[in-house]
Amino acid sequence: MKQLKILAVDDDPFTLKMLDKKLAKEGYDIETASDGVEAGKLISKKFYDIIITDLVMPGGVDGIDVLEAAKTKNKQTEVILLTAHASVENAVEAMRKGAFDYLQKPVNFYELTLCMEKIKNYKKLLKNAQDLREAMDVTEQNAAQTIQLLEMNVAELNNVVSEIRQVIMNQSIDPNKCVARVLDIVSS
Amino acid sequence: MIKDKRDDIKEISKYILDISGINLDESKAYLIETRLGGLIKEYECSSYKELRSKAETDSNKTIENKIIDAISTNETLFFRDREPFEVLQHKILPDLIDRRTEKASGLLPIPIRIWSAACSTGQEAYSIAIVLKELLPDLKKYNVRLFGTDISDSAIAQASYGTYNKFEIERGLSKGKLEKYFIPNGGNWKISDEIRAMVSFNKGNILKPFAGVEKLDIIFCRNVAIYFDLEERKKLFENIASVLEPDGFLIVGSTESLTGICPIFEPKRYLRTIYYQLK
Ligand SMILES: C[S@@+](CC[C@H](N)C(=O)[O-])C[C@H]1O[C@@H](n2cnc3c(N)ncnc32)[C@H](O)[C@@H]1O
Repeated sequence: MKQLKILAVDDDPFTLKMLDKKLAKEGYDIETASDGVEAGKLISKKFYDIIITDLVMPGGVDGIDVLEAAKTKNKQTEVILLTAHASVENAVEAMRKGAFDYLQKPVNFYELTLCMEKIKNYKKLLKNAQDLREAMDVTEQNAAQTIQLLEMNVAELNNVVSEIRQVIMNQSIDPNKCVARVLDIVSS
Repeated sequence: MIKDKRDDIKEISKYILDISGINLDESKAYLIETRLGGLIKEYECSSYKELRSKAETDSNKTIENKIIDAISTNETLFFRDREPFEVLQHKILPDLIDRRTEKASGLLPIPIRIWSAACSTGQEAYSIAIVLKELLPDLKKYNVRLFGTDISDSAIAQASYGTYNKFEIERGLSKGKLEKYFIPNGGNWKISDEIRAMVSFNKGNILKPFAGVEKLDIIFCRNVAIYFDLEERKKLFENIASVLEPDGFLIVGSTESLTGICPIFEPKRYLRTIYYQLK
């Protein structure tokens, strides 16, 4: 799978730096933004596979706004929220709005990588399901065309057969003319 | 496979065939194992035979229903294969309404009765409802009755609830229709009350005789007969023929055929799809 593009957003320079360093070391292609406003600008310009964002940030754009902006721009983007004090309502709201998960601060790096692995697997499964569906659609469309053609042909042939049967069963038709009639029916 | 195990699986396939008509021959043993494994654990059974007898003696049918939910394939989407719904909108409904208008007294609303047989989680029935709504802005002039039935409890429950997640929504629905007929509901989407009210959902086995069912003008019976064997398919389409108005319409799945199954239906082609009428 291609390298995942990550955006980390936090107004706390220490956390941001740690995320940047550790995730880069893990092989992720990571960018950072120091608040929601900057994140919004980046999101509008570029696609990110995963956004890790702090929930509470100054400047009028918080984590939920970042989540909403990301999801509006592209539903494929998955968002992990970081919350300082475990506020359940905020987390629930975030999950309702489509966050993939939320983690408590200070960030436990092991937990974060687990979460990222989950996203990776989830994306892989999703891609798998989409591929299967795509393959099924193509097969189904092909089969449908063939079957419909056959269905119409069989119906037509059945009509021809019953017309021929009528001619043959009809005692009043001269047997010599009968053949000519049948040939007529077949060639029409 | 060891013989005991094979016999055990046969027991449960026979049972599934009896309760649903779904035909799982030996080649589908893996399907039984992956889909019923959970129930074996849940009910602490040592064999499928035991699961079967527990299901048979369970008077409120909880286990039977769980087996059906687990074994049925509910795969469906809004406007599946698109064309059948275009044919419905541009050919079937206009034809039907013309004919029914001629017959009508002008006083009573014109009846249109449609059945989505084996409707799964409701996408087919709601797609039909949306077509009706778009074609007939003045729905009050008609007495529209739209039914959806399925054998699976959980499918009917979701259909009735009318809520779909983003993956179910992404498939088959245009943005315009999504915004017009659905309401966002905490990450999911809920069908609008107006469309919801057009359909009534019920649990039902389409292989059981349809006693007391009123005649229908249009029947969608798509992608369900494929799970039955030939005998059951014949029975099904004969049942369907018996509840369809003489000038009614039948639509089957895009890869299904009635050739060799039910000769009383005649295929007709419109756009790039086929519908059936009684001969
Ligand atoms: C693949 S779905 C088809 C849904 C929809 N008609 C479509 O074409 O998209 C098949 C459905 O048939 C239902 N089914 C299977 N056996 C049935 C039976 N005997 N009576 C009624 N429904 C049945 C299953 O529960 C499942 O929801």
